[in-house]
Amino acid sequence: MRKWLFAAAMVWLLAACSPKPKPIQYGVDLCAFCHMSIVDRQHAAELVNTKGKAFKFDAIECMIQYANLHDSKDFALYLVNDYLAPGQLIDATASTYLISPNIPSPMGAFLSAFDRRENAEDIQAEQGGEVFDWEGIRERMRR
Amino acid sequence: MYQKLMWGIALGLAWWGRVQAATLEVCAQCPWQSVRQAVEAAAPGDVVRVRPGGYKEHSIQINKKLVLQGTGFPVLEGNDLEEILIITADSVRVEGFELRRAGKSQLKDQAAIRVRKARYFVIQQNRIVDAYFGIYLEHSSHGLVEGNVLLGTATHEASAGNAIHGWYGRHLEISSNYIKGHRDGVYLEFVDSSLVVNNISEYNVRYGLHYMFSNDDQYVCNVFRSNGAGVAVMFSKRIQMRENRFERNWGTTAYGLLLKEIYDADIQDNHFLYNTVGIFLEGATRISYQRNEFQYNGWAVQMTGGCLDNHFTRNNFLANTLDLVVNSRVNNNTFNGNYWSEYTGYDLNRDGTGDVPHRPVKLFSYILAQSPESIVLLRSFFIDLLNFSEKVSPALTPQDVADYSPSMSKIS
Repeated sequence: MRKWLFAAAMVWLLAACSPKPKPIQYGVDLCAFCHMSIVDRQHAAELVNTKGKAFKFDAIECMIQYANLHDSKDFALYLVNDYLAPGQLIDATASTYLISPNIPSPMGAFLSAFDRRENAEDIQAEQGGEVFDWEGIRERMRR
Repeated sequence: MYQKLMWGIALGLAWWGRVQAATLEVCAQCPWQSVRQAVEAAAPGDVVRVRPGGYKEHSIQINKKLVLQGTGFPVLEGNDLEEILIITADSVRVEGFELRRAGKSQLKDQAAIRVRKARYFVIQQNRIVDAYFGIYLEHSSHGLVEGNVLLGTATHEASAGNAIHGWYGRHLEISSNYIKGHRDGVYLEFVDSSLVVNNISEYNVRYGLHYMFSNDDQYVCNVFRSNGAGVAVMFSKRIQMRENRFERNWGTTAYGLLLKEIYDADIQDNHFLYNTVGIFLEGATRISYQRNEFQYNGWAVQMTGGCLDNHFTRNNFLANTLDLVVNSRVNNNTFNGNYWSEYTGYDLNRDGTGDVPHRPVKLFSYILAQSPESIVLLRSFFIDLLNFSEKVSPALTPQDVADYSPSMSKIS
């Protein structure tokens, strides 16, 4: 009986620690990188570390710069807002990115994220710019 | 004789000018019933005068030099989907309108009045109610936005745009506006050599005024009250900040003034009252602070990461919970001749300057920087004891952060 209780407690504890996306409270939460309050539902981003702690960002460029300064093995989840579905957090590593001089983002990188590559290319055809994948955009922001 | 001739010519020119510029009247019984039709029919240089009344109109394109004048606040009512006035020509003047129900969208930044690639515009004495963006100035310069009232309905939700939004521009003057309930009251990105003066900006979700990547600007004599945070100046150079009031920016994320990555700024004669943090600076370099008053703030000044050459001269630090937090090892910031209400030194030679230096960083603020939760111990006997012993023989607090000539009396 005791053994089972212990096991149940461990499972519960582990579940509590598993990294999960945390909803961003717009207008309340502060960017972990630049201290601005997060208001833009099309450009916010979030990092969740392996202990389940969430770091929230007002712009994708802030998240990438923050991630570039820290050890990548600490982070379990990279999340970004889908430009076409405001407020929706999607997996950053599988998203497509667009840098377009006609779409301003909060920290001046003109960077937006899209769930699907076709969507990014549609907006690119409309507004101009350059399309990247996750690795590409991280490399670009490092420069 | 010569003078008379000149007068004659001047009068003649004035009369000729009157004949040239026609006035198109718009009202229910007037030749024109629709503002848009009158604007389309007008010739460059004409005046379109709109009489009191309600006009359900949107997407009015002003693509020629024109005066659009409302008398007795006619209401232009949009359809919740489109923008109302779009100015794309130089030398346009819009005054005396109330604008309602401009388009709102999560995907497109829509404004009640948009100025696109235009110069020499004047937007004056309008009321803009519940717009997403109020006045959006894109790639526009040499313009005046004066005496407008912009009322948004944003409370905690972020579903609002900025009241006055400048994106790429030069020589803008934004003066004497009243702004309430938007995301940022005034937002300027890539806007140079501009002036923000005499505005009141309050109850905005994020900032009363916000500079990004803008240089050589100044803001003077404004009031920023009860915003998410007062003013943010980021990634900008040579900004002058004078005679503003930063009041009641309370909350865990609230600052009176947030400076990040800025260079060569002057901060003079401002009042910081009842803010969680008066000034928060990170990466702020070559900044001079003179004759500012910090009163009843949680922290008067918080410095983190890489702040060099910040010089505080003749400021008043009055009854703040903590005057200063410095969270960096390298320190060449100076404090001279300030008045600190916390100062407990003496002045034996009566020259008005304290004989012992004042060290504004307390041990407790050092502890707080390490673990913010310890704020619950504030005002406890234990902390008073710690602060006192640190003051007697400093061990942890930075030695070089000190005012060697503290003023004995409040600077007026």
